[in-house]
Amino acid sequence: MNNSWFDASRPGPTRREFLRRLAACSAFTLTGGAPLLRAEDEVDHPAPRADACILLWMAGGMASAETFDPKAYLPFEVGTPVEKIISTFPAIDTSVDGLQISAGLPEIAKIMDRGTLIRSHVQPDLGSILHSRHQYHWHTGYVPPQTVAAPHIGAWMAKVLGPRNEVMPPFVNIGQRLEGIGESQEIKAFTTGGFFGSEFSPFNLPYPEKAAEAVRPPEGMGPDRFGRRYRALQQMLKHSPQGENLSDFHQESMLRSLDAAHRLLGSPKRRAFDLADEKPETLKDYDTGRFGRGCLLARRLVEEGARFVEVTTEYVPFLHWDTHENGHKTYERLHAEIDRPIARLIRDLEERGMLERTLVIIASEFTRDMMIEGVPGSNAQDQSRAKTDVIKEMKHYGLHRHFTGGSSVAMFGGGVKKGFVYGKTADERPCLAVENPVSIEDLHATIFTAMGISPKTVFDIERRPFYATKDGKGNAVTDVFA
Amino acid sequence: MILRAPTPLWTVLALAWAPLPLVAEVDFAHEIVPILRKNCVECHAGDKSKGGFSLNDRDMVLNAGVVDIQRPEKSWMIELLRSEDEDERMPPVDKHPDPLPEEQIALIERWIKEGLPWEPGFTFGEERYEAPLKPRKPQLPPGEADANPIDRIVAAWFLENEAESPAPLDDAAFLRRVSLDLIGLPPSPEELAAFLADDSPDKRGKAIADLLARHEDYADHWLTFWNDLLRNAYDGTGFITGGRKRITGWLYGALLSNQPYDAFVRELVAPTPESEGFIEGIQWRGSVNASQTRAIQFSQNVSQVFLGINMKCASCHDSFVDQWKLKDAYSLAAIYSDEPLELNRCDKPTGETALAAWIYPELGEIDAKAPRDERLRQLAALITHPENGRTARTLVNRLWQRLMGRGIVDPVDAMDTEPWNSDLLDYLASYLVEKDYDLKAVLALIVSSRIYQSESVIVGDGLGRVAFRGPIMKRLTAEQFIDCVREVTGSWPQAPSGGEKGPLTLEAVAKARGLKAWDGRPVRAALQELDPFQSALGRPNRDQVVSSRPDQVSTLEAIHLANGPEFASMLREGARALLATSKPVGELVDRVYLAAFSRNPDPDERSLAIGMLSQGSLEEGMADFLWTVFVQPEFFYIR
Repeated sequence: MNNSWFDASRPGPTRREFLRRLAACSAFTLTGGAPLLRAEDEVDHPAPRADACILLWMAGGMASAETFDPKAYLPFEVGTPVEKIISTFPAIDTSVDGLQISAGLPEIAKIMDRGTLIRSHVQPDLGSILHSRHQYHWHTGYVPPQTVAAPHIGAWMAKVLGPRNEVMPPFVNIGQRLEGIGESQEIKAFTTGGFFGSEFSPFNLPYPEKAAEAVRPPEGMGPDRFGRRYRALQQMLKHSPQGENLSDFHQESMLRSLDAAHRLLGSPKRRAFDLADEKPETLKDYDTGRFGRGCLLARRLVEEGARFVEVTTEYVPFLHWDTHENGHKTYERLHAEIDRPIARLIRDLEERGMLERTLVIIASEFTRDMMIEGVPGSNAQDQSRAKTDVIKEMKHYGLHRHFTGGSSVAMFGGGVKKGFVYGKTADERPCLAVENPVSIEDLHATIFTAMGISPKTVFDIERRPFYATKDGKGNAVTDVFA
Repeated sequence: MILRAPTPLWTVLALAWAPLPLVAEVDFAHEIVPILRKNCVECHAGDKSKGGFSLNDRDMVLNAGVVDIQRPEKSWMIELLRSEDEDERMPPVDKHPDPLPEEQIALIERWIKEGLPWEPGFTFGEERYEAPLKPRKPQLPPGEADANPIDRIVAAWFLENEAESPAPLDDAAFLRRVSLDLIGLPPSPEELAAFLADDSPDKRGKAIADLLARHEDYADHWLTFWNDLLRNAYDGTGFITGGRKRITGWLYGALLSNQPYDAFVRELVAPTPESEGFIEGIQWRGSVNASQTRAIQFSQNVSQVFLGINMKCASCHDSFVDQWKLKDAYSLAAIYSDEPLELNRCDKPTGETALAAWIYPELGEIDAKAPRDERLRQLAALITHPENGRTARTLVNRLWQRLMGRGIVDPVDAMDTEPWNSDLLDYLASYLVEKDYDLKAVLALIVSSRIYQSESVIVGDGLGRVAFRGPIMKRLTAEQFIDCVREVTGSWPQAPSGGEKGPLTLEAVAKARGLKAWDGRPVRAALQELDPFQSALGRPNRDQVVSSRPDQVSTLEAIHLANGPEFASMLREGARALLATSKPVGELVDRVYLAAFSRNPDPDERSLAIGMLSQGSLEEGMADFLWTVFVQPEFFYIR
């Protein structure tokens, strides 16, 4: 048997070498067991237009006809046939000539001149509408189930680009509880670094107002004691008879990770997690609820060097944007919840000179319609809980079915055109994308391209190529770039 | 300038005068192969398949949809070769500045027109190692007759590779390692003291036998391994109609009784209602990719788990990286399927119906016309057929990997790969069969070997270049870590933590143990439902088969260890439990060291520890001291 690479005499590194290496390592980028970039398919990454990305996730299927793509408005009136209703809010003017969005979003209307609105985002009809499956698809670029664990797009950014600041977790996920709610296993399935491993998984902060606790010493422990405990560990390690064993790369990974954790927990940067640090009037302006506070937290984290932050309105079956009944009333509340914080976030980034290098995206897994489930002709089951032919009461008034034929995505900063609208949907039902449809693959290619990642980036996993966009075939919509 | 020999006149004449030169059949070997080899195989053969196209063999070329035999000139391949668009043209401009000469393209067009004649057995793929199917009992290299056969094989291998054997492990380190490996817990200070005091020559053998006789501890520990492998206890709801059926009670019972592996496999493949959860897989809701139907999951999981074959590639298209074909994946699936199963290539129907069949016909066939239960029984019999060495090799390789840190074939799910030592693999496999498929007998053989009882090899910067130098450190699993913390501090939970659906695992295990209600036995972490702390430490949610977990510690895990509320409360409970013994602190420090590391603290460590205990409250000091113990690599890794 020929084992020419076998070298029993190769000594392990000395302890000094090991410590030197430890010091040189960047906290979040090293993993020994992770999949390798396929060398033979090395790709040219585009020049990055943005360094950080904030995804504002409208979980549960945000109806574009009630937000960014208003159609003919019919007010609530008992006896109106439901088939006549497309939008339940009137349209208002925005800071862009000729562009209107839904009433209830006056602050966002004022900042539409800072970004691009895509009105023709389409998703496949997956047979039976299930939010968590569509969310998996949107967040990973792959339709579940997959035979390998697909990474979230935030994990792709963490893996390919690394951290912007080595003490800050590169991928932060704000506002989504992962325990104790419906479909939680399915949400976890895409809230993950997937085959990249847990080094690239999200740092989950379900409650923005409690984020500071996640980077604070454990309850009941002051910073002094916390620091003392870590110093004691280092003393212990110094005196440990283990010596050379610590240079084993497994053990090294453990010490390096503990070091990275303590650097974060002991760094002034951790103040970024603490909303109490903000001026009360700023906090008040953002504070429309958990989502609003999450927007503020996202701004603070990106300021201090986070790479990718997702802020969600939170997916809980039948809540928030997931209106199976009483849609209009629910949207009044949701408009108020997102309007001020999103506008303020964009303005804050702009004031700080960060908007040009930060890509902010507002998106959802699909849109909604009054009548159609899936797309016209779909055999998806009708899931409305307010089935009726004519409006009899308020709970009937709203968009209660899941529609995959044409939704809106807003993008700000990160090199996208300002005051630009791309694609359109039909004005009459079915409101399908009738111009420039943008698939999830192409939308991801656009996002990745803005961030300086080729959509064809490919890793070897179980000896198969796995691409940043499905089969490497996502094409960036370059029209949206300035 | 090279002067070319003038073309002999007779050739020119022959070409000029031949009435119909095109009727001559294309000579594949001499005319086509050189063109393809020179221009195409760099990117489209072997394990390269750029653009999803491989021309390893004729089927692959045909199936890729790049040739149209009816209209060769319209073939995608020909269009790309003739394309005037430099971005599109093949071969790519950066590698081949000039397009292929027209006469070569015409030749390929003719080759397509003639139906793509191919040399039987010819492949552009590299010569592959062919894994043997039959069992083989290797002849042992010379050595002492009573030496462990593993050591005779390993000694010969070391000799051949001019490598030094690692140093033997001392008694304390041995007991800690073997105890963690067999039952998942470290030895108690009392067990350790008794073992060290014992001066009988066979005390290691006796310790091994004693550990393996602790049936419940053994089952508690190995439940983790098998749950991962059989993806048992996946909790997902929304994707699923009717849920995923658990097999916990059956599995625990099988581990408790050390059910012979052949019977174990048969009950999983041709199941009883208690064990059917494995082959029933996960019923995903809505329309899913054709490669994720229950029947295809069956094909993928049965071949991966029992045979170490990755059918994931082949369940979509003929694999580019091994010999498995789409047809193989579907034939296996058809054994399971109640309905006729249409082959789908890359999620598109092909019109061809799969016939139930098995991938190694030399061992026997499945009767495709037999009812499903009978087909499953036939498959179970073929997987455990006495002439099928693959099943045993796959299993012993997994056990070796668990105990030694790396497989003899690595990765463990790629059993078509060449082992670093086939004698060792084949010996262990034949030993399993000889011992009537007794898993514990194989474990005992491995842990009794001198090579297992050797110091761990220090791996500097990754495993890539190391075939075998000795045991490699393994990290504690999430379940082991929690159990060890509980064991060291003597603070076991008496009750289960209910998951979202209650303590399902514990209930099933109680039943398997013949109990009506839990009897107060310490609840091991493997019997708890998945919680955020276990999840952070790497316990998977088991929607996929997991055959090995990550062996490194990530920063997110380290953050959990540094300030996670779950770990902080475990430390508090542990500190309280230790202090409740009212022993002097010096004694407690010694005890923690013995329980955690199987050694006494050295004087410096001892004084550091006592120093910590004198800061702040005693409980805080103890909790902090425990933390510095549990996050040391010496605790976290099995050396």
